[in-house]
Amino acid sequence: MRGGALKWTGLGIAAAAVIFAVVLASRFGTDPGLVESPLLGEPAPTLELPMLDDSTMFATSDLTGSVTVVNFFASWCPECRAEHADLVATAEAFKDRGVQFVQISYSESRDASIAYLDEAGRSESTIYLADPGSRAAIAYGVFGIPETFFLDASGTVVGKIIGEANAFILGATLDTILAGDVPGQKITGDTQQQPDD
Amino acid sequence: MSERLKSTLFAALTLVMAVALIVLVATNETPDDRVERIGALIKCPVCQGEAIGDSPAQMATDMMTLVEERVASGATDEEIIAELLGSFSGALLLDPPTSGTTLALWLAPLGALALGITVVVWWKVHPGRPVSEDEPIQNRRRTLIGALILIGGFVTIVVVAGTMLQDRASPNAGAADVNVENLDDVSNETMEAVIAANRDDPQINGMQLALAERYFEEGDYRSAFPHYFDVAQSGTATDPEAVTALIRLAWMAYDGNGEVETAITLFDQALAISPDSEAAQYLKGQVLWCGAGEHEEASDLFRLVLDNEGLDPSTRREVEADLELVTSGEGCA
Repeated sequence: MRGGALKWTGLGIAAAAVIFAVVLASRFGTDPGLVESPLLGEPAPTLELPMLDDSTMFATSDLTGSVTVVNFFASWCPECRAEHADLVATAEAFKDRGVQFVQISYSESRDASIAYLDEAGRSESTIYLADPGSRAAIAYGVFGIPETFFLDASGTVVGKIIGEANAFILGATLDTILAGDVPGQKITGDTQQQPDD
Repeated sequence: MSERLKSTLFAALTLVMAVALIVLVATNETPDDRVERIGALIKCPVCQGEAIGDSPAQMATDMMTLVEERVASGATDEEIIAELLGSFSGALLLDPPTSGTTLALWLAPLGALALGITVVVWWKVHPGRPVSEDEPIQNRRRTLIGALILIGGFVTIVVVAGTMLQDRASPNAGAADVNVENLDDVSNETMEAVIAANRDDPQINGMQLALAERYFEEGDYRSAFPHYFDVAQSGTATDPEAVTALIRLAWMAYDGNGEVETAITLFDQALAISPDSEAAQYLKGQVLWCGAGEHEEASDLFRLVLDNEGLDPSTRREVEADLELVTSGEGCA
């Protein structure tokens, strides 16, 4: 009788230990930046930020009514450089369908961002903004760049791409939103947290 | 007063003073202390396990500035933390919350302690029985069961960990996945963007031709033209791609602008690449007949098309009807 009880006690302890270890192992090494953004399905943050080129203030609330793409970038981020041409091309291709692209400089000086855009090229229809004090990055919960958010015409965050995007992914995501659907979050690759990462 | 009573009173007094000191310190927290305390609770989102109060990263410094501003404006701790977690999720809390799924982490040590006490008490209450003759057999059985449990646990952990790592290794799984093979689901704008961003990629000719065909079928020659032109000029287009582009350009030159000579030149370029192209032969015949009144040349081309035994029956009927008209000297319909 005692042997049976001991056996079952041992089994119970072993099972509990295994379950506990599995639960811990399942989270071990998980990048917290890959969790689903709590902003999805919520109204986008409303901010007033200086334009990158001339410092005039721009209120993001002015974008309500347009499907909007908000991209965080920096010159020190290789993935941002890789996706830049695709962002420009997609912004130009979708401007006649009322889609507005906004690119916000992340964790670098205004001069560095301007010099980068001078080198990489600008889309004429894109709004380029500075982010002093990282207020936009904090409000959007940016864990690393590039991160790209998609807002529907009502100003609700309906999509997010973590990592490098390309014209096909950007366009397909916009097609989904313009069709009235919700694209959700997609992880395409690595992001950079800080310069020299 | 006895020595024992004195000692007890002294200990009680010390305890009261210690509690009073803690309460005093806690209730006289300066704004800087609050900022520091809140900063120690929030994980820097761009660092490895560091609090925003400890990290020199710009994002962490900016978040601390935000905390300072909120403290100065009279926001409560809960409001400040909720503002930061509202955009970043609970993953930013250095200590897991004592609710939801992370409650188990807080209760686990208590559970382990209770389990240990239970086992010890059980042992005390139920003393071991005398060793029996078949004890060695029972011991072997227990050892076997224990080994099986260990192996089972190990295999489970390996399988689960492997699955988790596999999931992380394929980050492309997402709601925005698109079947690249099926261009029917892709808008003209997306195709335009992809083409514009990949002009140097030789494989882009296929998509450019598909988009041009889409515009052509819609009768939008203005949008189709630059894509057909690019494919026709591309040194990397396949022969069928180049021939299709040249034929379409030729037809648009004639149908859109009435340019017979340009159309004939382009048809000839297509036929130079693919002399047996029935589309180039037939449409060139059409332009010669309808645009230049060249009945004889047109009928020769129509006959050439009809020589192909594998010609689609409906196309054959159409070409035969045209041949009959052109040979009888009729104008084109």
